[in-house]
Amino acid sequence: MIPPFKLIQAHSTSDAVAELQRLGDDAKIYGGGTELLILLRHNLVQSDYLIDIKSIPELGSIRCANGTVSIGAAVTHRSLETDSTVREMLPMLASAESQVANIRVRSQGTLGGNLCFNDPHSDPATVLLVHDATAQVAGPNGKRQVLLGSFLTGMYSTTLEADELLLSVDVPRLPAQFGGSYMRIHRLQRPTLGVAAAVSLRDGALDEVRLAVGCVGPRALRLEELEGNLHGAAPAEISKIIQESKTSLKALLEPIDDLLGSSEYKLYITGVLLERALHEAVHNATR
Amino acid sequence: MPAPETLLEFIRRRLGLTGTKRSCESQVCGASTVLVDNQPISSCNYLTCEANGKKLLTIEGLAQGDRLDPLQEAFLRNVGAQCGFCTPGQIMVAKPLLLHNPAPTRKEIAEWLSGNICRCGAYPAIVISVQGAAIELAAHKSDR
Repeated sequence: MIPPFKLIQAHSTSDAVAELQRLGDDAKIYGGGTELLILLRHNLVQSDYLIDIKSIPELGSIRCANGTVSIGAAVTHRSLETDSTVREMLPMLASAESQVANIRVRSQGTLGGNLCFNDPHSDPATVLLVHDATAQVAGPNGKRQVLLGSFLTGMYSTTLEADELLLSVDVPRLPAQFGGSYMRIHRLQRPTLGVAAAVSLRDGALDEVRLAVGCVGPRALRLEELEGNLHGAAPAEISKIIQESKTSLKALLEPIDDLLGSSEYKLYITGVLLERALHEAVHNATR
Repeated sequence: MPAPETLLEFIRRRLGLTGTKRSCESQVCGASTVLVDNQPISSCNYLTCEANGKKLLTIEGLAQGDRLDPLQEAFLRNVGAQCGFCTPGQIMVAKPLLLHNPAPTRKEIAEWLSGNICRCGAYPAIVISVQGAAIELAAHKSDR
């Protein structure tokens, strides 16, 4: 049984922020509820008030301007999987979204909920990091924006304050000459790990490289050092460079043993998927 | 304050319709699947108030009078069940698949149904049943 709470309908973002300010830690933002209702049922989270943000129009919209797709926090995974703008502009994200959990979770769960909950076993954040996505946040003192890489701070934690609301995620499309690839392996409907790669080429060699890995450790991360080491490398050198970076990858990713795999296994598979995703991204860039 | 009611509790206790099953209660197994405005959801993890003003379809509403839905017919014909506990959920997830994609491949059916667990392991017969219903629906359409 889910313990009693009062459900408050917020009609605007300022309405939601005002309620958060008034109720403080007693209130939680309620979107799809896929994670929150389970946590409430098992008493892992206690909350006297849930603030429903689903009827705020701007949080449910997908807008596109100047090559950047702005995704409202209450947009569902299923919408992102099927939306024609997202499929055209952000094919890697559409692909990752189509693999989230199962069709029921995708129909109900929202991107904003997924990012704010920041379960380490999640797909979208990994892809969004490679896109250099930005989180738009509203609070009592107005709006602020923060790079998603800084927004996601650790396992189940973000920089969001108790009186702040995630409004949207702004996702720039990859530059025209880039190729991208998202790869994951999963067990029991949850990703064991996911890897996103985007590359551009110059004279047959890797030029700009963007890499992110999720689910291995406490949070999804960009691999800046490895990105730098791959700059200027020939595709044939990818495997060797990844092998040489295993020690620094381990220190960066802090792999965790869990039901989905040992830390040793995850680190090994990270290397395998990075190599495959990079080759696919190279293939997509040259097409 | 009364305890918040899930749609599953509303369907089983207040409506007395027991085709929708309670099982994992964490949106993993699919036994409690119903359609809200044609979207498959886990009724065990969905508040009843969310369905206000929306169209709810449970396994009991699938037949047209005495005529079973083509999916129900196909599950019977192909024995797409062993104990039958998961069957309403399997059918209620397959229903929007066929609405959205009338001729799914075997792989598409398997992906779409991957979030529905059958502890008896009747998966091959479940996939054949969904394929059978798709073929039946296509044949029916070309009759007209």
